[in-house]
Amino acid sequence: MAGTGKVHLRDASQAVLRIEDLVVEYKSGGTVVQAVSGISLDVLAGETLAIVGESGCGKSSLGKGILQLIETKSGSIVLDGQSLTELSKEELRQARQKMTMIFQDSISSLDPHMKVSKIVEQPLKIWKKGTAQERAAKVVELLISVGLEPEVVSNRRPTEFSGGQCQRINIARAVALEPRILVCDEPVSSLDVSIQAQILNLLQDMKDSHGLSLIFISHDLAVVRAVSTRIIVMYLGKICEVSPPDELYSKPLHHYTHALISSVPIPDPTVKVTGAILEGEPPSPVNPPSGCRFRTRCPAATDLCAAEEPQLREVDEGHFIACHHPRS
Amino acid sequence: MTSLLSIRDLRVEFDTARGPLAAVRGVSLDIEAGESVGIVGESGSGKTVMSRSTMGLLRGRKVRKTGSVVYNGQELLTLDLKSLRELWGTNIAMIFQDPMTTLNPVRRIGSQMREGLVKRLGLSKEDANKRCLELLKLVHFPDPQEALRKYPHQLSGGMRQRVMIAMAVACKPKVLFADEPTTALDVTVQAQVLDLLEDLRKELDMAMVIVTHDLGVVAGHTDKIAVMYAGEVVEFAPTRELFANTKMPYTEALMKSIPRLDRQAEKRMPVIPGRPPDPTEHSPGCSFAPRCQYAQQKCRDEHPALEDAGNGHMYRCFFPIGGR
Amino acid sequence: MAVKRKPIGFYLASGWMGLCVLMSTVGGFLPLPNWKVGDYDNLGVGLFSPGHLLGTDTSGIDQLSAVINGTRLSLTISFTAAILGILIGGFLGILAAYSRGWLDSVILMYFNVSLSVPTIILALALVSIFASSDSMGQTSALERIGTLILTLAIVLIPILGRIARASALSWTGRDFVLAAKAMGMKPLQIMWNHILPNVVPTLLSIGFLAAGVLIVVEGGLAILGAGVLDGSTWGAMLATNRQLLTIYPHTTLIPAAAIAMTVLSLNYFADYIRNIIDGRESRL
Repeated sequence: MAGTGKVHLRDASQAVLRIEDLVVEYKSGGTVVQAVSGISLDVLAGETLAIVGESGCGKSSLGKGILQLIETKSGSIVLDGQSLTELSKEELRQARQKMTMIFQDSISSLDPHMKVSKIVEQPLKIWKKGTAQERAAKVVELLISVGLEPEVVSNRRPTEFSGGQCQRINIARAVALEPRILVCDEPVSSLDVSIQAQILNLLQDMKDSHGLSLIFISHDLAVVRAVSTRIIVMYLGKICEVSPPDELYSKPLHHYTHALISSVPIPDPTVKVTGAILEGEPPSPVNPPSGCRFRTRCPAATDLCAAEEPQLREVDEGHFIACHHPRS
Repeated sequence: MTSLLSIRDLRVEFDTARGPLAAVRGVSLDIEAGESVGIVGESGSGKTVMSRSTMGLLRGRKVRKTGSVVYNGQELLTLDLKSLRELWGTNIAMIFQDPMTTLNPVRRIGSQMREGLVKRLGLSKEDANKRCLELLKLVHFPDPQEALRKYPHQLSGGMRQRVMIAMAVACKPKVLFADEPTTALDVTVQAQVLDLLEDLRKELDMAMVIVTHDLGVVAGHTDKIAVMYAGEVVEFAPTRELFANTKMPYTEALMKSIPRLDRQAEKRMPVIPGRPPDPTEHSPGCSFAPRCQYAQQKCRDEHPALEDAGNGHMYRCFFPIGGR
Repeated sequence: MAVKRKPIGFYLASGWMGLCVLMSTVGGFLPLPNWKVGDYDNLGVGLFSPGHLLGTDTSGIDQLSAVINGTRLSLTISFTAAILGILIGGFLGILAAYSRGWLDSVILMYFNVSLSVPTIILALALVSIFASSDSMGQTSALERIGTLILTLAIVLIPILGRIARASALSWTGRDFVLAAKAMGMKPLQIMWNHILPNVVPTLLSIGFLAAGVLIVVEGGLAILGAGVLDGSTWGAMLATNRQLLTIYPHTTLIPAAAIAMTVLSLNYFADYIRNIIDGRESRL
């Protein structure tokens, strides 16, 4: 499995965001651990790129690293032609107007003592957009666009709302400055199932109406299928497979992707679960296996897999895989 | 044949600062020995309160319980704490969502596991140790001996859940309540744990009640499913029957709005408008009426009772799908 | 959402504190004997004696006037010190929590070192430096008051600072702080707009507790001779009359009762705020 492959990257001039060889490290009890090991990816205008993986695969660190909310050890991040890693502190701060993020815990992402209208106004106020009146009008517009009633919610505080409503507030705040890219880190995972669909639809609508590109980070394969135009599967800091959604689900070529898909319970008792259930646990990122990191749990692992790390290669139109012995 | 666990018209009300909160509003269910029942609902449905009060875990001045919960001929709601404690672990056990908070972080796994065995079954420390190893093997732990010496934070989520399951089945209970057992786990680990629960159930001839919001989890692992909404059971049927012949609009809407792996990606997903109702609010009619696409005036005025459609299928609706 | 009726304790506590404020401001205008002048016809009389509702002490000083007069100074000293402690301790604590790194270590070290110095020793030392008695055994009341406030504030700053730091730490890890950073807010802006307003309720709650404790401490210092000497605070009254506890119990018990009522009321408010905070946070 390679992160050092870049064959899946497309024309740089078309990309809103282009990341090459990104490495994110953190210290854990004295040792240095690599959460993201040389990942490259790009996002085109109007695209929704999904990054899927289980806990410990590094997807959250990747999301925060892209936004430079945590330090990245090496690699380049180019947003709209601007290289984020080479900016000064102030320049980076300025660049934050073009990229935003929403998080998994929607209620905790809002300051509990602030009124909703102030929360949504905040990005506009920080960057001094318009007069107070103009900002107030924009806040009303934003609240309506995310399906909330301004008269009802403006003067209330986040603790009075449900998870789903808070996520709407988060989205309103996130798009206030018309960013180029919105990173969503597990945006619907803590929400009730019947609310998830509402928020997913809302994100699609926002993307269309504001001309955004989305990066959608999730562990939930079913959710990701519904919203994405391209899916990247991560395992232990590396990329396994890159593919458009329909292909990925009908023909997963990487053994990990296949195991992931087989493990998701289908809400239909007549559908039999096919495919082996993955044994064991993900190895610790402190000491990843040599060569292909998935080999310790892979039914098709050979000596080659231990010796040599597989690189990403194209096996089908837009379908890339990093594996020595892909499924056929 | 009398059921192993029989719940009749259970009502649970809390005294809160905002007034009385009726979390469970009249639930009746039967669970047979060795059977697996799923209880599905979203937040505010009352499913967690119901499962915990059935076990007798919710107690206190501010909790009011009425109705009846009969286990093996014994009424649990009025039972004193001492007798309840006798039942816990040996007859009725529970595993919870987040093993990190249910395991004691400052004690080693072995010590926690032994405690129950020594106190409950009166085993000596060595015998208890042996039993712990057996139990860990039972739950497919890769290295039981090593595990006993570890602390909870040194294990992964899936491992911790296995320890919880091992502790729960240590005294071979007849009923196991699993409250969102896999929600906090990765999907590949979830599959392992669900499989494990299924194996254990068959091996120990245990009845199991899985409380969850995930229809996918119950679809493949239960004999019967009860769907809860706003503190009531709104549909109850054998699993296949529920999916093949859904009667309650909420159940149908839920099934449609869940993102599915095996379906083509749709541009816009069907949604249930609105939100689950606030448990402190009461409406005279059907609780789902405000969000139901089939709702009629009668639904808003009168509260539907549970009806029997035959072959074990109960539903709470005036205008069920597919007629009566 | 029904508005919760305030429990009776709230009214009792507010009532007492209101009374204290009243006593501080207009008490001096009441038609009571001057608290500085002893009534030599009525030395050491007990409660409910004619002309002296709460009795007098051995110098004939009317206890009621003395208590009323003492209110102003006792409350001023403890509240001023508490406010100073909150402002300075709170600022340092939040700064430490948000900046982490070397600044945090330095501030924390200051806190820990200060906490290791015993209050009494510090008080006596400061008094001897700034407000020692001159050769006649007299000392300016103002100097004493100022020194007292200074001492109490110095003692309070590391305590409140650590609490503020702990509270701020629990907030800096939250997602909304990360979201603020992602928006491009500067660190000071984040601390002022997001951390501070959420730390204030906790600090306020502890602050009320602290004010209560300071009143008692002031009493203790008075007994040791480091307090205000002219008997014009409750603590000073205690100091003057404590040796007569067995003979004239009312002279000690009256100021003690005033202190106790005040501390109870302040503790009540502290609890009250605490409950509101818990209520708010439990919904998060």
